[in-house]
Amino acid sequence: MNKQEKINKKRGNKLGFWFFRAALQLFGLPGAYGLLYFVCLYYLLFDRPAVSSSMAYIKRRFKAYNAFQKTLCVYNLFINQGKNLIDRYYILSGLGEFDIEIQGYDKIQNLLSSSQKGVILLTAHVGNWQVTMTVLKRLEKTVYLLMSPEENMAVKKTLSVDSDNEKIRIISSGNFLGGVIEIMKVINEGSLVSIMGDRSDGYPSAEAYFLGEKADFPYGAFSIAAAAQCPVVILLSAKVSTRKYVADVSHVIFPRYSSRNKKHEEISAWVQEFAGVLEGYAEKYPFQWFVFRDLWKKNIEK
Amino acid sequence: MQKDNAQELAQTRKTLKELLVKELSLEDINPEDIKDDEVLFVEGLGLDSLDAVEIVVLLQRNFGLEVKDLENRRDIFYSIDTLAKYIYENRKNI
Repeated sequence: MNKQEKINKKRGNKLGFWFFRAALQLFGLPGAYGLLYFVCLYYLLFDRPAVSSSMAYIKRRFKAYNAFQKTLCVYNLFINQGKNLIDRYYILSGLGEFDIEIQGYDKIQNLLSSSQKGVILLTAHVGNWQVTMTVLKRLEKTVYLLMSPEENMAVKKTLSVDSDNEKIRIISSGNFLGGVIEIMKVINEGSLVSIMGDRSDGYPSAEAYFLGEKADFPYGAFSIAAAAQCPVVILLSAKVSTRKYVADVSHVIFPRYSSRNKKHEEISAWVQEFAGVLEGYAEKYPFQWFVFRDLWKKNIEK
Repeated sequence: MQKDNAQELAQTRKTLKELLVKELSLEDINPEDIKDDEVLFVEGLGLDSLDAVEIVVLLQRNFGLEVKDLENRRDIFYSIDTLAKYIYENRKNI
């Protein structure tokens, strides 16, 4: 078991899940949310890795705040992350549904109807992308999620993917060549492929200004889209009330290389455009940023 | 006949090396420096998964190969030699 797995195991044990499940069934969403205020206080005091990875974002998003205010922001972030996890279980267990508004739905429908090719959905660990992903079933296209083998199990449970009846399937980044050939194949067949664009985690990345400093973002989605000649649709979701989510798919990028010599410049420009959209999101929904990575770290070490 | 096949395969390898250097913008590498049996990904030439995307496009554009036939074909992408053999056997005149 590696360090990250040990941390994850410590964060979500069976007793904890049972406790929240019971609260949800007995007291509904508000009751389960109420428990979070105590549980998150424990994590704020004792889970140093979680606090430190959140602080990297908070200190750049709330530059003028003092140390105490920043710590309160981290607490708020943990509570919102907890609400997201509860909401996922709420849907999965069939206890109820959320009202999900999709902004730009017509745009994505037009893109799919005007071309034989599919699209890449570029998303991030913000809001509750698993919940909004279920709404994309309305498009009646198969949606493939590119994710690492360790993420597979958790997401499979949330979205009940890969069963014969489901339109949501997984492409593992652990497959040969990171699954890129499979991605190109399904895009040619008209499917959607969802790729996370926030954590580089060793994948090829480019620098972009984010919250005033250079940060690292993976550029695989743009590289694949340029090769497959398909658009990149940015998908970001946010919880806007206890029972409502908004998913925005209105921002579309069409990555095409103008010349071989300018590839790196053009990739950097697309990554910067994405970082700009993420920054707008962080301005609007500051406490739904669940990336939990120091995106600026590599540039500080240089 | 056998000599013709060997010549055609050698020509495919040469073309492939030239295309790789050009399309992948492999700086400081000459096509003739790439060995036929050199491992393409990670070790050897050190290509990554995003270079694979470019190779797929290159195979489509220059040899008429289709993406769906390349899926799960780890064996094809091993070296210039394996790639050239696959092209030689499956290329479509475009």
